[in-house]
Amino acid sequence: MTDDSIEKQHVVEIENVSLRTDRGGLVFRDLNLTIDSGQTVIVSGASGSGKTLLAELLVGLRSVESGRVRLFGHEVRRRRKRILRRIRRQIGGVGGPFGLLPLLTVAENITLPLVLVGERRKLQQERLLRMLSEFSLLKLAGKYPPNLTRVESSLVQFARASIASQPLMIIDEPLAGLDPSTYCRVTEYLIKVAVSGRSLLILVSDLPSTNIPDAISLRLEDGELV
Amino acid sequence: MTRIAHIFRELVRNLYRNAGTALASILSMTLLFLLFDLFWIAAGTSDRFYRELLSEIEVEVYIDGTVADSSVALLSRRILSTEGVFTATYVSREDARAKLADLVDMDLLVRYEDNNPLPRSFLVRIQPEYLNSTDLAAMQSEFQNMDGISEIYYGREWLKKAEDTKSVFLEIGLVLGLLILGTVLVSSTNSIRLMTRVRAVGFRQMMLLGAGRLFVSFPFIIEGFLIGGVSAVAGWLIVLYGSTRIQFSQIEIVFPTTDEMVIFCAIAALLGGISGYFGVRKLLKE
Repeated sequence: MTDDSIEKQHVVEIENVSLRTDRGGLVFRDLNLTIDSGQTVIVSGASGSGKTLLAELLVGLRSVESGRVRLFGHEVRRRRKRILRRIRRQIGGVGGPFGLLPLLTVAENITLPLVLVGERRKLQQERLLRMLSEFSLLKLAGKYPPNLTRVESSLVQFARASIASQPLMIIDEPLAGLDPSTYCRVTEYLIKVAVSGRSLLILVSDLPSTNIPDAISLRLEDGELV
Repeated sequence: MTRIAHIFRELVRNLYRNAGTALASILSMTLLFLLFDLFWIAAGTSDRFYRELLSEIEVEVYIDGTVADSSVALLSRRILSTEGVFTATYVSREDARAKLADLVDMDLLVRYEDNNPLPRSFLVRIQPEYLNSTDLAAMQSEFQNMDGISEIYYGREWLKKAEDTKSVFLEIGLVLGLLILGTVLVSSTNSIRLMTRVRAVGFRQMMLLGAGRLFVSFPFIIEGFLIGGVSAVAGWLIVLYGSTRIQFSQIEIVFPTTDEMVIFCAIAALLGGISGYFGVRKLLKE
């Protein structure tokens, strides 16, 4: 195995996955998707096409009816709690199933991924400060999520999804409802993540106006990725 | 922030944000424990009273009139060799007469100077571990089978009643204990479940970030532990305060030892911790 092949190992592997909604409608039909290390994939689709469901599938909130979902080489199964926990710690999530903890401050929300892996306090503080500065959240550090605007909440989630340099970032509708200046900042940030070597899965209704380098664009239609 | 610091901060946050629920839980459990403490004291006090009464029990073994005085010593040795007998004191006719005179404050046998009709007897004291109706009945039948014994008397009816009362007390204690155990578990579990409901969204998010079940549930387990422990300690403090204010001259109140109180509080805290786990468990399954 060459060095290149080690770097390009699959981060996400979805093989022939079929899934129905609770009402019985077919959402995914033999869905296949592979995201390599450092790769950016943008999945666009109409509202209700199953984008959020795809994110839920990846973090083990849903079980597949057939097929297989693997992350970082481990099969995602709801009952395998320990593996699921390990997988989830490597994912930074924004939007969709991911949200903020309402009873923790912005600073506590952001540092939580580092707390969970038992990172040193000093490092937590350093990274928190960097994230707060990067996303202009310094003034909001002591606030609680219910007191934040939607945009502020999104930025806090971005900070939390990046603080532990999680190898995979799943972002559900990152640009929806953003004002033009925040839109530009978030797009810039996505480009930065895309070139940083982290894998990125972006789930959007409309493709972003700015091109993300080396991003693979797919469309979710009738339960299939095209 | 370390994981432990996070857990304790969560605990403080829980208690601060749900102070009313926690206080209600502590107060209701304190009342339950207080009830149990009082019963414990009542049981201990009545047990001591019962033991004191038992220790005064003597078996009167009457000697047949036909037995010669010279054979009394042999009879005494046979009684003493019976299992459970502590002492056997010989009571001659004259001793019996003196006792009777003491009892009624006059000598009723003035006309019987030469022919005292009172029987001779032994006053038998029993070893404490044999002071129960079963062993005494066995002893009675053994004495009965000895040649030269005419009659045996002890407070058989009284002993039976005392034993029955003690067993009823024990049963009440057992039922009360089980009731309190159940109520503590249910009450504490429900109050913690109420607190977890408020935090359901946060739990889900924490799990999504890769938090383990123990990490999420530990603050609630500690909370239950604290509520149980504090309630038990408060119960004893109320009892001890009450004991300094109220004095009984007739009865000596028997309190559990400090060690027993500490063990009781530790068990209460453990129960609280278990109920904390039950309170949060359902939410973790969802």
